[in-house]
Amino acid sequence: MSNPKKPHITVMRSQLSRARGLGSGQAGVGHWWAERASAVALVPLSGWFVIQVFRLAGASQPEVAKWGARPLNTTMMLSLVILTFYHTQLGLQVIIDDYVHGKAHLPAGLLMKGIVFLLGLFGTVSVLKLALAGSSRGRIAAG
Amino acid sequence: MVEFRLPKNSTVGKGRIFTATPGATNVKNFRIYRWSPDDDKNPVVDTYEIDLDKIGPMVLDALIHIKNDVDSTLTFRRSCREGICGSCAMNIAGENTLACLKPIRDIEGDIAIYPLPHMPVIKDLVPDLDGAYAQLRSIDPWLKSDTAPPPDAERRQSIEERAELDGMWECILCFCCSTSCPSYWWNGDRYLGPATLLAAYRWIADSRDEHAGDRLDALEDPLKLYACRTIMNCTQTCPKGLNPAKAIGRIKELQLERKA
Ligand code: SF4
Ligand code: SF4
Ligand code: FES
Repeated sequence: MSNPKKPHITVMRSQLSRARGLGSGQAGVGHWWAERASAVALVPLSGWFVIQVFRLAGASQPEVAKWGARPLNTTMMLSLVILTFYHTQLGLQVIIDDYVHGKAHLPAGLLMKGIVFLLGLFGTVSVLKLALAGSSRGRIAAG
Repeated sequence: MVEFRLPKNSTVGKGRIFTATPGATNVKNFRIYRWSPDDDKNPVVDTYEIDLDKIGPMVLDALIHIKNDVDSTLTFRRSCREGICGSCAMNIAGENTLACLKPIRDIEGDIAIYPLPHMPVIKDLVPDLDGAYAQLRSIDPWLKSDTAPPPDAERRQSIEERAELDGMWECILCFCCSTSCPSYWWNGDRYLGPATLLAAYRWIADSRDEHAGDRLDALEDPLKLYACRTIMNCTQTCPKGLNPAKAIGRIKELQLERKA
């Protein structure tokens, strides 16, 4: 007869076996480095962006459209948008690793990455729209 | 796993009060966590009014006085009483430290004493460190060398090579650092924690060791190593003044260095 007062032990695996676990995942340095490298790249990009916002303050819609159609500005804006959302995704993954465990871990990461991807894509399309709309209008005017 | 609230059977109740002997003039209150596995009761905090004129200067002196003269049921670990064995590690006035090195006069007001945070409690101030010791064992904390030592002498190191180990050989494995680390609280089943990672780097950095690559391979893991978020609690709390966060940073640098 089992003793109802005696707790049933479900884990008898040794502490060393638990500590070693499944061994090393052979991953981590890539994520760690990408997080830092993207953060460093975002410093000058964000500085540039803030300066542009001040320069364009009070500008008319056609002036902003013209600004957005310049290849240099498009390049900088795309770098900023893509790196911002790439970095966001890396950082949020760290938070999920810390706070979400077990079965919810994988779906939480996928959901987060999906949302960040869509937001980043929306930003990218917006920058491109400004860039391409501006240039096509320019062509019509020229023709 | 993150726990923002204590489990029901861990909420701490009010305990007994042991009043000071009449006539004592230099009295300080020690509020000490008590829990016993022998009954089904929740933990409580007992208050001991202690006459500081009767005891030595350190928190451990007060604990020994309580056990000898006031309440022999109080359970704690200690051995060397000079900061070298690591067994009296506990949370004193909100900080993980060694009771034998913590002067009572450094603490204003009542002194709250708890076991090291977020570890299973065996009794009163004694935490279960089996998991932490197994993690230390898992990184093979010993010299691994395939070259035979000279037949008639020890393995030699230059003065510079030996200096690489400063700030690490002094670690007494008290686990004050690991149990102060939020990453270790939330993910201690996989994150190795600062004490074990400091020990790992101690062997990676040892010029006589020939297995740095294997050691780095074994640490290259999103949680075992990279769950360290550079919060620095470990370095702030170490009662020996060591810097485990720096050692962890060095391991991460080496992981990067060998990729290029
Ligand atoms: S590094 Fe400091 S706090 Fe951590 S185990 Fe070693 S001596 Fe204790
Ligand atoms: S630096 Fe790393 S090991 Fe130290 S407390 Fe912070 S997360 Fe923990
Ligand atoms: S009793 Fe040995 S470190 Fe405190």
